Amino acid sequence: MNGPAAIVRIVDDDDSFLTAVARMLRASGFVVKTFASAAEFLARPELDVPGCVLVDLQMPGLTGLDLQEALAKEGHRLPVIFLTGHGDIPTTVQAMRRGAEDFLTKRASKEDLLNAVKRALDRDARERATAARMEALRARFAALTPREREVLKHVVQGRLNKQIAFDLGIHERTVKLHRTSITTKLSVYSAAELTKLWMEAGGLEV
Amino acid sequence: MSWITVIWSMVASSCLTLAAMHLLIWCKKRTAWGSLLFSLTAVATAAVAGCELWMMRAETAREFGVVLRWAHVPYWGLIISLVVFVRLYLQAGRPWLAWTVCVVRTFSLLLNFLVGQNLNYHEVTGLRHIPFFGESVSVAEGVSNPWMLVGQLSLLLLVIFAADATLAVWRRGDRRPLVLLGGTIVFFVMGGIGQFVLTFWGFIHKPVTPSLFFLGIVAAMSFELSNDMLRAARLSDDLRESEERMTLAAEAAGFGVWMWNVATNRVWGSERWLHLFGFAPHAAITFEEVIQRIHPEDREIVEREVRRALMDRDDYAVEYRVILSDGTQKWVASRGRMYPDERGKPARMLGAAIDITGRKQAEQEIVQQRNELAHVARVSTMSQLASSLAHELNQPLGAIMRNAEAGELFLQNPSPDLDEVRAILADIRKDDQRAGAVIDRMREWMKRREVERRRLDLNLLAGEVVTLVRPDAEKRRVRLAVETDPALPPVHGDRVQLQQVLLNLLLNGMDALDDNRPARRLVTVRTRPVGATVEVTVSDTGHGISADKLLRVFEPFFSTKPNGLGMGLAISRSIIEAHGGRLWAENNEAGGATFTFTLPAAEGGNPK
Repeated sequence: MNGPAAIVRIVDDDDSFLTAVARMLRASGFVVKTFASAAEFLARPELDVPGCVLVDLQMPGLTGLDLQEALAKEGHRLPVIFLTGHGDIPTTVQAMRRGAEDFLTKRASKEDLLNAVKRALDRDARERATAARMEALRARFAALTPREREVLKHVVQGRLNKQIAFDLGIHERTVKLHRTSITTKLSVYSAAELTKLWMEAGGLEV
Repeated sequence: MSWITVIWSMVASSCLTLAAMHLLIWCKKRTAWGSLLFSLTAVATAAVAGCELWMMRAETAREFGVVLRWAHVPYWGLIISLVVFVRLYLQAGRPWLAWTVCVVRTFSLLLNFLVGQNLNYHEVTGLRHIPFFGESVSVAEGVSNPWMLVGQLSLLLLVIFAADATLAVWRRGDRRPLVLLGGTIVFFVMGGIGQFVLTFWGFIHKPVTPSLFFLGIVAAMSFELSNDMLRAARLSDDLRESEERMTLAAEAAGFGVWMWNVATNRVWGSERWLHLFGFAPHAAITFEEVIQRIHPEDREIVEREVRRALMDRDDYAVEYRVILSDGTQKWVASRGRMYPDERGKPARMLGAAIDITGRKQAEQEIVQQRNELAHVARVSTMSQLASSLAHELNQPLGAIMRNAEAGELFLQNPSPDLDEVRAILADIRKDDQRAGAVIDRMREWMKRREVERRRLDLNLLAGEVVTLVRPDAEKRRVRLAVETDPALPPVHGDRVQLQQVLLNLLLNGMDALDDNRPARRLVTVRTRPVGATVEVTVSDTGHGISADKLLRVFEPFFSTKPNGLGMGLAISRSIIEAHGGRLWAENNEAGGATFTFTLPAAEGGNPK
């Protein structure tokens, strides 16, 4: 499932821990990049590259939460896993509410850490794939004319050509022509397939 | 018996009696040079009187001449001893004049034996009998010796010397009978000279009677010396009385009085002092025996203090423990003063000692209670810092675990990179030591311990404490700033207790910031030298302390915090005061409060 170019970014001010965790993740087969502070990471986040962020919660200067906030402000949803020396409940709650992928203590077991990283990478890959598909779908739907979209809206509701013709005040043959145009533009062969595609696109405002 | 015989014999005998008395005094007390010189003067005067009597009774001119020649020997002795007396006893007169008088007089004595029959007459040609005191006495007739002028010159010089010395004494403001003495010497010597000159140059025909003039001088000297003796006797009485009074007062106040004669190494002690040290009454003790009674740990400091007092001629004050033969221990406070001899060398040390066992015990109990309290406060502070400490421990422990896992993964490889594995193991060891250091520090904090005073660099100490609270501060989004002065002198103190004070002030500062926006949460620690002290301030940017609470915050059980114990600042202040410093609170002009403490700088530069 891992995208070939996925990079695990590790941000921690504790040099010793940073080296250790990077070493272990590399040995486990991940591609890793380390940063000594949140500022260093935010200077060049390379958000186009898939992956996840493993960040120490308590750091002098910008903390892990600051980093998460900065990413959210940019509108990027790079999964963030928090690491903490000692997690207290209020901080954990705050972090999870803002959408932290995971919250681990620094002494969490290897399995937990690896699973969390894998999960984060999966989610990132999935989200990136979905986003790409959505982008393509939008492009395809964007090719329809306004009249065709109107017809489509009736079609996905399962209405018959006759009913559509009556509702839109046009000839039934014209409705058929529009349907043929729609299926050609969207490369679908049946009304069921069309409906499925429309659902996938999230019931777009067509 | 004739009057002349009676008078002259009495002059001679009284002079000899006085001479004998003062010779005896000199024998007993060799430093009493005045008495010796007086004896010499008196003996010479007696000899002069004898010669005069002989001359008045001389049958032939030749006899007269010979006696006169020999009479010059006591004249010489008299003048020399008089000059030395003035120099030594009156401590006046110009030395060169004194020397000149002596040299000229000695020269005239030589002339007396080498030129003519004697210094006065080249030759006595005949005797004349004239009435004197109702008797017929002999006076000489003959050719005057011109060299007589040398002798008279010496007498003139003697008058000048004595007059100059008397004037010097007068100017010195010393208007005691010493001036009378000087004046008497001048007066009688001048009288003697007058008679001499007139007689020997043939202006009057009377017998020369210098012994009568000298008797006047002898009487004045004797009067002065007896006055001195009387004064000394009175002083010794006064001294004995004041000593008795002092001993009485000291005994009443519970002091034992002691005196150490450095030269003989004898220690005399009052009854109470002997009892304090467990010596038998009236025991003769040496300094070493006293030292033996002192607690071995305190001996060095006592000996050092005594040595210092001896060398610097200074007072000595020291508190130490005394161990009695039955093993009981007493605390003694002893003070002393060194008294030098005339040459400024230490001769005696006098002092007083008092039993302060009760006070010391009370002091120690207070110290113990304070340490106990400080310990409790430390433990409670440590619980506040539990999450900080967990963070500090988990950091290296987490690194160790990740490294160990990485190592295992490397070793699963058929041809593992051993260099990488070695690097991993080195890192594991380093992190283990890091975790160990955290635990050691925590143990030192939690331990019930004796106070240990050492030279400390407060800059380093401030850095350590800031490191300790930093995780906590980050969590609470408080910025910590440290501004240390590199020229800060070291202090003498207990590391853990001073850390405790700084920690307390830092945590208080952070607590004061909870209501602030994160951007306005700042605690600053500053150090700087101020004169002979070191000043440390901890400032926050919080809401400050209301004026009525500025002083009260140091009271025990006073707290402005909902869950505060109210002991932190009270303990901090007691710790700082036990270190000889001060701790106080002020509000900043720009808002927030500043806690400042000062500690005396340790002597002797940086703790390197």
